[in-house]
Amino acid sequence: MSKLIMRGVSKAYGATLALRRGDLTVEAGEVHVLIGSNGSGKSTLCKVLAGSVRPDGGEILIDNKPVTITGPHSARASGIGIFYQELSLAGHRTVAENICLPDMPGGIFVDRAALESRAQRYIALFDTVSGEGFSAEAVVENLRADQRQLVEIMKALATEAPITIFDEPTSALDRAQVDRFFDILRDLKAAGRSIIFISHRMDEIFAIGDRVTVIRDGETVGTKNIADTNPGEVIRLMVGGQDELAPGASAPPAEAADRKAPVLTVSRFFGKGFANVGFEVAKGEILGFGGLHGQGQSAVLRAIFGATPSNGGTLTLAGSTFTPSDPRAAIRRGLAYVSGDRSRDGVIQGRPILENVTPIHYLRQKLFLARPSALAERVKPALEALHTKFAGLGYSINSLSGGNQQKIVIARWLIDRPDVLLLDDPTKGIDLSAKADLFALIRQLAAEGMGIVLYSSEDAELLNNADRILVFNGGAVRRELTGAERTRYNLYQAAYEAA
Amino acid sequence: MTAATQTPAAAPSPVLTFLKQPLVVALTLIAALLLLGEALSPGFASGQQILRLLIVAALLGIVAAGQNLVILGGREGIDLSVGGVVSLSAIIGGNLMNGADSGILPAILGCIAAGAVIGLFNGLGVTLLRIPPLVMTLGMLGVLQGLLVVIRNGIPSGRAAPGLSQFVTQPFLFGLPGIIWLWVAIGLLMAFMLGRTVFGHRIYAIGSNEQAAFMAGVPVKRTRIALFMLSGAFAAVAGMCLIGYSGSSFANVGEQYMLPSIIAVVFGGTPLSGGKGGYTGTMAGAVLLVVLQSILTTVHIDESGRQMVFGATLLILMLFYGRGRAMRA
Repeated sequence: MSKLIMRGVSKAYGATLALRRGDLTVEAGEVHVLIGSNGSGKSTLCKVLAGSVRPDGGEILIDNKPVTITGPHSARASGIGIFYQELSLAGHRTVAENICLPDMPGGIFVDRAALESRAQRYIALFDTVSGEGFSAEAVVENLRADQRQLVEIMKALATEAPITIFDEPTSALDRAQVDRFFDILRDLKAAGRSIIFISHRMDEIFAIGDRVTVIRDGETVGTKNIADTNPGEVIRLMVGGQDELAPGASAPPAEAADRKAPVLTVSRFFGKGFANVGFEVAKGEILGFGGLHGQGQSAVLRAIFGATPSNGGTLTLAGSTFTPSDPRAAIRRGLAYVSGDRSRDGVIQGRPILENVTPIHYLRQKLFLARPSALAERVKPALEALHTKFAGLGYSINSLSGGNQQKIVIARWLIDRPDVLLLDDPTKGIDLSAKADLFALIRQLAAEGMGIVLYSSEDAELLNNADRILVFNGGAVRRELTGAERTRYNLYQAAYEAA
Repeated sequence: MTAATQTPAAAPSPVLTFLKQPLVVALTLIAALLLLGEALSPGFASGQQILRLLIVAALLGIVAAGQNLVILGGREGIDLSVGGVVSLSAIIGGNLMNGADSGILPAILGCIAAGAVIGLFNGLGVTLLRIPPLVMTLGMLGVLQGLLVVIRNGIPSGRAAPGLSQFVTQPFLFGLPGIIWLWVAIGLLMAFMLGRTVFGHRIYAIGSNEQAAFMAGVPVKRTRIALFMLSGAFAAVAGMCLIGYSGSSFANVGEQYMLPSIIAVVFGGTPLSGGKGGYTGTMAGAVLLVVLQSILTTVHIDESGRQMVFGATLLILMLFYGRGRAMRA
């Protein structure tokens, strides 16, 4: 009898089918690995189980009894605990309070003694590896990143749930801490508990997992015994039949042969979320950043643009060395940055299209007056190049669809051409025709001599559009894929390599 | 291709849209209040009386111009120190003039400089020290009130120059006093600045989405500091005009401007969350408040009663515009 069975679970967000047919069977006393590329649906499957997402269809059985999970509370009641990848700690509270947060001892008033003693049980598990300053009374805010991650783990352990989900629990931990954590997982396994483990480190998966389930394009494609498989086979399952470059994908352009002088050079670049990153972009080249979500790709682009601080590195743009300070300085130097999070970083909400498309032009041309008729003439070519549809420049940007809003935001960078265009997952949440327009334009801009860096969380976009791909893993470039090496298999292999 | 231009959901009828515009609402209310005043006390809406109301409205309107800019700039922007600046400016101006026309120019320059410096401190506190504007400008108000007591030791001092009094109270051009022309000029200048200059577009950008503005190279901090400086300068100009209107300054003359300047802005269609609106509506809002105040005086409601009415007005306005805010978020 299996501890947990999920059958045919599906979930759509609007028109996007995030999960088509998710199947997962977990036994009591096993560590079950869940693996899949960006957007494959593995997170959605976990969220369904954790109660943070309501599924559209499918069934869930625990101990052979059908259960309906309506929210995080009912997930807990059904015996499911979860470790959250994004830190969900209360920073101002102590370690002990955080560990016991899901289930505070005592009634209206917290029973301090019970709280301390219960927390101490889990703190003791990591006694040898938790490091200096780690205690029940320590305030979480003052801890190091790895120590905070340990608190997260303890919090998940403290739920004592028969089924516990660990979503990338080791990203900040050092070797000794991971080893200790795995020992604890083995103890739990021996006690008959079920662990669902998500990681992007192949070595860890093979060190701790009993079985692995692979999800691709919203469907479970297979479950293997770890003992009977190898990393290559797992990656091939993730890739499926989609290995070769899609039709119409650019063969390496002619320019790549006689690679032109680099327009942007980055070396020994350090910052929050990445370390020792170095690369070159040539004029007319589209350099792709790939790998799993959040491996430093965005962080590097934002730091180059000066939107977030960096510490150390040599950056050269069109022959002159610079230190990133803020976006204003970057724009003046000839850098452009398009964020995928347009509502946060791009759109000036509630304002006319004209005001949304002109700010870069104002800055680069040092304008003082904003004459609508003259500006309309200047912005027209950029908007036409992207096939932007709008009623008039005086209309609010909120009257446009998401794809057209993003086109307006991109168009603002094209009125005065930058030397290098940094694209940070620019197609997030926009429709297919807008994507096609965008990539056609990007290729054209490159052909006209612009250097382009493209980070995309959609692997197909990357494989189809980038001339060269740098695969990020754990905040560093793990591998460079050029020419015929640009395959999904190589991309996943590098993305899942030991960091 | 379905991604065509979408019309905003549930487009209301054009007539209704027109009637709901803050400016139209304010003008209608002004007319209604004038009629009501005339009914309560004949002569209320006479030409002479309306002119007097407009002078008082101009004083409030000039203060509200600065208030409007700070509020447009967003991030909970508000300037509670305007009243203190008005009072301080009246004293500085009164003492620099001391009843002589030759002192007008130094007084104007001195007052504007003082107002701008106070605004600079507000702006630096809000941007560099990240003190919330409400707290920063409230603290500044406290400092200014203390300063007023120290400077004057409680004794009124300083007199307006006759030229200034004439400018504020006597017909200057086409039968209207100079201060009304000044106000009109400020109105035109504000409309030009907000609509046709890069600086104006930056104000809306930081008020609407500060992060996006930052990513698009807008000097967010510098712009916000400039807004507070302009607010201080406008309040200082109003303080100068005020002493021209009343002849001499007395304790805390500016205090009465803080709340009404905010109400005028909100009435004029600029939400407290910033990023949209403009000054034309604020001008109408200022006139409306002055007419309302005058009616309350006519029916013998004293100062404390008037304050209560004003406070309640602001709260009712928030109720109305609160929905618009929620839609933006």
